[in-house]
Amino acid sequence: MAGVTRSAPLDRLMRPVHRWVWGDVDRRLRKLLTFAEVETDGGRDILRAAEVTPDPLLRRLYLEHAIDELRHGDLFRERGAALLRARGTSRSVLLDGNPLPGGHGLDDLRIDGEPDYRLLAFLHVAEKSAAGRFAIYRELVDDDPHTRAIFEQILRDEVFHMNYTYTQLTRISPQAYRRHVWHARAKRLWNQYLRVAASLAGLLGNAILTVMYFVLLPPFAWFAKREERREPIGWIPISRVRQDAPRSQY
Amino acid sequence: MKILGISAHYHDSAAALVVDGMPVCAVQEERLSRRKNDAGFPVAAIEWCLEHARLDPADLDAVVFYERSMLKFDRILTCALRAFPRSWRSFPHAIKNTLGEKVWVRGIISSQLGVPRQKIFFTDHHAAHAAAAFLTAPTRRAAILTADGVGEWATLTAGQGERRPDGGTDITLRREVRFPHSLGMLYSTFTAYLGFKVNEDEYKVMGLAAYGRPTMTEQVHKVIRRLPDGAFALPPEFFEFQTTADRSYSSKFVDLFGPPRHPYDPIDVESSEGRRFADCAASVQRVLEDILVDIATRLRRETGLADLCFGGGVALNGAANARILAEAGFDRVFVPPAPGDAGCALGAALYADRIYFRNPDRELPDHPFWGPSVDASHLARAAREDNQDVEGLDEGPLVERIAEHLVAGRIVGWMDGACEFGPRALGHRSILAAPHDSEIRDRLNRDIKRREEFRPFAPVVPIEAADRFFDLPPGGSRLGRYMSGVFRVRPEWRSQLAAVTHVDGSARVQVLERDMAPRLHALLEAYGRRTGIPVLLNTSFNVAGEPIVTQALEGYMTFRRCGIDALVAGSTVVTKPAAAAAKSSRESGAWSSSSVAASTVA
Repeated sequence: MAGVTRSAPLDRLMRPVHRWVWGDVDRRLRKLLTFAEVETDGGRDILRAAEVTPDPLLRRLYLEHAIDELRHGDLFRERGAALLRARGTSRSVLLDGNPLPGGHGLDDLRIDGEPDYRLLAFLHVAEKSAAGRFAIYRELVDDDPHTRAIFEQILRDEVFHMNYTYTQLTRISPQAYRRHVWHARAKRLWNQYLRVAASLAGLLGNAILTVMYFVLLPPFAWFAKREERREPIGWIPISRVRQDAPRSQY
Repeated sequence: MKILGISAHYHDSAAALVVDGMPVCAVQEERLSRRKNDAGFPVAAIEWCLEHARLDPADLDAVVFYERSMLKFDRILTCALRAFPRSWRSFPHAIKNTLGEKVWVRGIISSQLGVPRQKIFFTDHHAAHAAAAFLTAPTRRAAILTADGVGEWATLTAGQGERRPDGGTDITLRREVRFPHSLGMLYSTFTAYLGFKVNEDEYKVMGLAAYGRPTMTEQVHKVIRRLPDGAFALPPEFFEFQTTADRSYSSKFVDLFGPPRHPYDPIDVESSEGRRFADCAASVQRVLEDILVDIATRLRRETGLADLCFGGGVALNGAANARILAEAGFDRVFVPPAPGDAGCALGAALYADRIYFRNPDRELPDHPFWGPSVDASHLARAAREDNQDVEGLDEGPLVERIAEHLVAGRIVGWMDGACEFGPRALGHRSILAAPHDSEIRDRLNRDIKRREEFRPFAPVVPIEAADRFFDLPPGGSRLGRYMSGVFRVRPEWRSQLAAVTHVDGSARVQVLERDMAPRLHALLEAYGRRTGIPVLLNTSFNVAGEPIVTQALEGYMTFRRCGIDALVAGSTVVTKPAAAAAKSSRESGAWSSSSVAASTVA
């Protein structure tokens, strides 16, 4: 299995970061709970694929795959919850804020209307990448046999997922399967770029809006607070005019 | 006139089509996108509605959005200003979220559908709730009450509606309570405090409440104060929902009620901590009921009307609805099958038809089945391809066969005709089981629904037999038509209806008239002939975290991966062979080792 689940060079380069993440219990459990959501979401997406595919064999395989992903979600959730319980105090703040980036995100996956070859190629690439990363994580949680056991179990499934997606891709698209895989890799790279770009844009937007908040808003805030003090509470009559304004957004 | 109603962007988006004053179809986006509580612009729902009615967007006379988006933005901005400088963290998110898409609804509708902007209309959010409640109810005149988290500014409105003898319609909402003073937000705050998902898991609070005693009502009254005019106010020091989207309650709230429950902590109602949470749920439930009963009683006195139409997300609280019926003085209480925001799509379209365009009133069909129909041939084909045991049966033999399955303790997935509009499974997309044994309930919770143990299952009973098993007050069967009321199971039947009787002896019963779902009615009768009890456990056909199934293949996939024993769609019956059922149970067992923990997760 080690050969099949060889990590990507980038992941090997990122090993110190992974070690930093998995070396701390709080970060570890946040990561596990994030994985739980990602796997469950991925499972539901693949289930959808099983519902819409016209191919009976793929339907059975997708279903099996979806059941695996949903089970992985449960395993991660159970382990995260166990770590959370073991932490005891200050648990309520642990999950506030944004979670750490997920493992093998199937998020934003469009199923309806997509041909099976595209989904299979995407799944193959995603599963391969996840398997490589999970192999690293497994080594980094040596001090935590329960979490390690989960990764081992999931890795076995990931190998099956990698293999069946590739086999089926070659079956349904024998002429062009390599192109589909490369296309999926390129698309995955593009999506990663978009995610990073969107995050940067979001940060920039937040910074600008925060500056605006403190520079522009104070006088308006003063007026708003003054109006609030004057505003009646309790029942307020409804203006008939508003009910008779069919085209107004106000 | 052809009018399309749309609700979108907050939770549970939907589309509905009204042609010549009659609803033609309505569906929530989640039923088509398969993402629970899908709040996105309901492209799939709109496409399906137009396709179903064989219309092009150009054929539409009007498209009506269920709220005034700029007025909502006004509220969001004003709240951020009022909370200055504490709102600095949430301000960028709120502005990006709102300005990113939500305020440009007119442009979005126009570009997505290609309809001219002058055909696009807006209603007040609560006017859409009011219309959904009143215009779908079989009554000429009624008081109207709407309550939810918040619309634009209003959180609760009161008024009345009338179908005039000349065919015209009036809906007059006279007064409102405004944000942040909100019964819905109060309940949602407790939902968050108890570790459940806001806008999704409020019904879990109601389920949990039955395990507790209302010992903390005094504290709850500190966070919701009654006013001399009969309204209420939420003191801002206990809440944070008005200033941030990250947290609903303040540290003062925690000082008052104790540490909140973490979403990943299990709820053990036998433990002292579990009892505290249950008591907390019981207390907020009691206070909510008391306030609603009081407001409804005043409305009854003011209007002198015998009927009440109740809409908005708060109207999903069946225990409160039953108390309003019993105590507020109304003869009948009408709650539509989709009282929440999804129902506003239909409400907005009907409101525009009757109020804006002054079209004459028409009597509407009194059923919830406005969604896509199930195609049994898809199920038969897929099941045969998978070497499943498939049969095609005529109506009579099918009903008898399924009744036998149910008597034998098997669990049945039931898909019949068009799917329901709204959050309840009312007999067309249901999982059915025998109601007698609590073991069935545990099996459903553990292996199929995969949800918390404390949550009850609902019964369905023919109207002719309802009074025999359930203590229904006058008007109770109407409230039970769409599973909108919680009533007592008669004590002598509780042991025989253990799977559907909640811990406090109550049940959220569906009272079924033959005309509404004749096939299910026939099944209840067939089951009754065999057992003497024409009652079945009826729960929505889905797994936790997923929308209710719509198409046959969605039902089939759910059937394949969990412990449902037989699946019915149209005339097709698929039965799991004994060996496969055992295998499926083992698979579920593998899941359930983790689902014990998962079932405690919100």
